[in-house]
Amino acid sequence: MKHARRPLAQLLRVATLSTLLGMSLAHAADDYSDITQLLRAGKAQDALAKADQRISTNPRDPQLRFLRGVAQADIGKQTDAISTFTKLTEDYPELPEPYNNLAVLYANQNQLDKARTALEMAIRTNPAYATAHENLGDIYAKLAGQAYNKALQLDASQAGTLRPKLALIRELFSVDAKSAGAKGSATVARAPAPAPTAAPVAAPAPVVAAAPAAPVAAPVPPPVPVAAAPAPAPAPAAAAAPAPAPTPAPAKAATTHNAAKDVEKAVQAWASAWEDQDMGGYLGAYAKTFQPKGQASRAAWEKERRERIVGRAKINVGVSDLSVKVDGDKAQARFRQQYSSGNLNVSSRKTLDMVNQGGRWAIVRESTGG
Amino acid sequence: MPLLPCSLGQVLTTVAVAMLLAAPAPALAKKGEQTSEPQRQSATKKKVKRKNPTQTAAALRDGDAERRLLEISQLTAQGRAREALPLAERLVRDHPNFQLAQLALGDLLAARARPLGRVGDVVPAPAVAMAAPPPVAGLKFATATAAPVPQPSAAPQPSAAASALPASATDTLSSLRSELRLRLDSTKAPPPQGSIPAQFLELSARTRHAIAMDASRSRLYLFENTDKGLVLVADYYASVGKLGTEKVVEGDQRTPLGVYYITSRLDPATLKDFYGAGALPINYPNPLDQSRGKTGSGIWLHGTPPDQFSRAPQATDGCLALANPDLERILKTVEPRTTPVVIARQLQWVKPHALQAERQSFHAVLEAWRTARSHGDMQRLLTFYAPEFQGLRNLDLEQWTQTLQAEHRTLRGRSVLLKDKSMLRWTDSSDTMVVTFGELAEGARTGTTRRQYWTRKGAHWQIFFEGVIG
Repeated sequence: MKHARRPLAQLLRVATLSTLLGMSLAHAADDYSDITQLLRAGKAQDALAKADQRISTNPRDPQLRFLRGVAQADIGKQTDAISTFTKLTEDYPELPEPYNNLAVLYANQNQLDKARTALEMAIRTNPAYATAHENLGDIYAKLAGQAYNKALQLDASQAGTLRPKLALIRELFSVDAKSAGAKGSATVARAPAPAPTAAPVAAPAPVVAAAPAAPVAAPVPPPVPVAAAPAPAPAPAAAAAPAPAPTPAPAKAATTHNAAKDVEKAVQAWASAWEDQDMGGYLGAYAKTFQPKGQASRAAWEKERRERIVGRAKINVGVSDLSVKVDGDKAQARFRQQYSSGNLNVSSRKTLDMVNQGGRWAIVRESTGG
Repeated sequence: MPLLPCSLGQVLTTVAVAMLLAAPAPALAKKGEQTSEPQRQSATKKKVKRKNPTQTAAALRDGDAERRLLEISQLTAQGRAREALPLAERLVRDHPNFQLAQLALGDLLAARARPLGRVGDVVPAPAVAMAAPPPVAGLKFATATAAPVPQPSAAPQPSAAASALPASATDTLSSLRSELRLRLDSTKAPPPQGSIPAQFLELSARTRHAIAMDASRSRLYLFENTDKGLVLVADYYASVGKLGTEKVVEGDQRTPLGVYYITSRLDPATLKDFYGAGALPINYPNPLDQSRGKTGSGIWLHGTPPDQFSRAPQATDGCLALANPDLERILKTVEPRTTPVVIARQLQWVKPHALQAERQSFHAVLEAWRTARSHGDMQRLLTFYAPEFQGLRNLDLEQWTQTLQAEHRTLRGRSVLLKDKSMLRWTDSSDTMVVTFGELAEGARTGTTRRQYWTRKGAHWQIFFEGVIG
């Protein structure tokens, strides 16, 4: 899988960096190779120590500072990495790579606007920088997803509907590898470890898989993704990653579901008692506390209902588009009521507020939407 | 009358019922070349204006959000998506609850990442993530420097991904598309300059404003009654009932059609957030509706809830819902009791002079009624009243005759003068004239305001409702 080659990508980018610098560096390319090799082997901690040690004597060396930033990012020191790359952009504003990596770090923190600005800067410094273009495309897609969520009033935490493409964002590095590799074979050749090793590289793969498991529902991805490398897991995990986070409290959901079923049944029973002109069943569907609308008393209301129901021509009460909301012992059933009797045929919206009284759902309020 | 109008708790559900006009919205589907020069100029002009520092205040003005949205869609249609993007970002910042603006922003951003099919080309993430290799490789940025040109050809086929959206989101999306289309159509084809809806046969100078709603365009027009006649001062997108128009019974989720008057102004502090900036009830069911046995109540013009700048074209339980800044302007403008509200399926726009003959012929009818009334010629007078007459509190014609006789006695031989006449004509299966006028006895300083509903029977007009309203 592509993201598996992330460390390589970094390595390549580093090589690219020195090429772009086009200045005679104090050290030969090999002087960085120990650090890059450590990085590639997943020993970011060691790589960082080495880079720091080297920087103490070469405080301005952009290559070393860049590697330090990569190592920090790999360890999970996002803030440190961000500050390393930020300083690099200040000291070497003509380099697009630090901007690009800054953007990736921001994107991991879900700071999409900052990521976007950084990528736009990268492109401004080097309009042909394909990696930044591709990354920016992903950022745009993610921002678009956010806007779409708002347009459709989807809750980003609910259902995976339009959740931004986390996996994709984490693959920015590998995208990088591809384009950087394509850009110049010279750079690749310069890199000391040739034909790198699908195997060792495969290890970091699970990062992508492992990380999302926890944070999927959380709006902001935790700042780990780059560094959490150690956990070994098989590659296919990447595809599995976005798999639905476990539904919260399935037990509760189930009871609510059953309650909703009971409410539906109660509504149907109420409608058929009405149809059957079964006044016992009909009036019994209403709770003792039921407040008749516009009637002085319960008795007056019952009387009126009797007059209207008993002895009528065949009554039909259809219930359709029934939707039920249950909240503990309370429920609201909303539906379209199709009433007909004789020549009268009326369709209206109806809302029944109900309460659960010892396992029986009874109507406490009846209203007609109008 | 129930305090809550047309919506009992319909709060957040955006149940889209009958829009499904999946036609690609013209803005994005249209290529730049087709856009005419004047439009281009106006877009540029507006942009210049936008730079002025009072812009933030302007963001809250009525109609402003729509103007900005249309500018964005116009720029996009001209292939100037790059210029449109920052405008969309600003619009969303000013109105985060304006779903169409969010949709436009989503499209403009997405267009930077992939070719865009049609408005609201939403691709849900899971579908993307599931596709084995993430489609990064497919992104071609060779054209990234040129503004993405949407491809109309891609429009008709709904992207497979869209079907993965939850049903509610699919509905929301299609109603947003209709809302955009309706907004574009209305502004692209405004009513002919200087014309008025044919219903406004005559408005007295005391009627300062008038409102007309064209349900087919989801558009509400606000007029000012100047000494030169009715002048259109603003028009707004407005939502109608979930099941459309032609309300008949309570609960049918339809908006009534007819000639109405605003009856009062409700204090927003006493209303649920759902109604937004406030509410203006209208007098549905009016005497014509009542004569037809129509039921229901609580039809209002009201605003929108905090989480929605505007609502779907068909969204209410019968009310007219407008964006809050738009409603605020109306709240500030209209006068309860005198501002007429015509709600038509489709407004017919005519030049005021085209109504001249009709107006004069009805003046003659009214004058004949006035003469009979002045003379106290009851036999003659009663020929103006329809047998099915029903006054306030269900007075029948016999009872009303007594009232008329009593009124005549108080005239003590003086004749009656009519002033401040307003005549609104409503034609559907029958032909109705809603007439309001001040009436006073000759020489008297004060009088009463009377409203009559006339119905045409062949060549004759007869009154089927009459009442003193002030």
